[in-house]
Amino acid sequence: MFFLSLIEHTLRLPPHLLDLPLNEAIKGELESLFLDKVLANLGLCISVYDIRSIDGGFVFPGDGASTYTVEFRLVMFRPFVGEIITAKLKESDANGLQLSLGFFDDIYIPVHLMPNPCHCEPDPENKSQVIWIWDYQEQKFPIDGLDEIRFQVQSVSYPPIPVEQPKESKPFAPMMIMGSLDYDGLGPVSWW
Amino acid sequence: MKIKKANAGALTNFEVLDFLRSRGAAKDPTRVIAPIAASEFKVYDYLVESAACNQTRESINELLEKCKKYDLAKAEILNIINIRPASPVEIDPIIEESEKRMGEGIEDLIEMVITVLPPPPNQMNTEEEVVAGDEEIADGEQTTTETTTTTMATEN
Repeated sequence: MFFLSLIEHTLRLPPHLLDLPLNEAIKGELESLFLDKVLANLGLCISVYDIRSIDGGFVFPGDGASTYTVEFRLVMFRPFVGEIITAKLKESDANGLQLSLGFFDDIYIPVHLMPNPCHCEPDPENKSQVIWIWDYQEQKFPIDGLDEIRFQVQSVSYPPIPVEQPKESKPFAPMMIMGSLDYDGLGPVSWW
Repeated sequence: MKIKKANAGALTNFEVLDFLRSRGAAKDPTRVIAPIAASEFKVYDYLVESAACNQTRESINELLEKCKKYDLAKAEILNIINIRPASPVEIDPIIEESEKRMGEGIEDLIEMVITVLPPPPNQMNTEEEVVAGDEEIADGEQTTTETTTTTMATEN
């Protein structure tokens, strides 16, 4: 689920941080720049693992801040295809399920990757939601939000940033994971 | 920004949890004081509920050693460490073509995983019910031996 990525970045350190020890100041700047942000094809940045080297410290003319070239490693969340992950159900509608990991919410299970055969029924409690039920050997197994759901990662995509978005559409998701429940051992943990 | 190495090494859930813990993350109210961002705490919360929360470095090294004879791919071993499967049906999505490649070996693999890696907290509830019956019998036997030793001590 997690990988380390080695990144080199030219960092401008604002002068109000001059009283901090260099390591801490650089770490703070890196965290505010990268933490909880998605980097294309690298994944979601979870944390700064360590700082390998700090170079430079030059002050460019006309600028009050010093610039450093820092080499560091980031802990990235980037599941690989075929990985099994346990997540909680967030929403369930006619297009499929949406699962959440707490720190990452854009996990979708589309209808064609649900266990075959299954059908959906309108949820009695919540008008906009729908309950998916798996019909297996004449027994019904509903996917309710009670326990965690295990899914296999099918693909990870990074849609490009849209220039314009119609109002009231979902906020833009820079990283989307498509998952599948269509295999033995996948689905809510209580099923197995 | 230049990406020098997009993949400088895979991390198991346990390693990320250990890293966050070493920086001061915890479940109790000392959260506000620890130098950990709120987004990192969300990751910590997720990992603490998963199978990684009571693993140790030694148990993972032991599992890696013992997995060598099964000729598993690196991704499969990573999945096993992160999920801690406890039955053949859980191994099925993890190892491709498990019957063809391993056949009988699946049972041994699961036995080994269960003994080497500690169970996660939510799985422990179901396992405790099975073990509690045995423990009650053992306790009864222990108390009888204890009384005999104390009587012997007073005699001496």
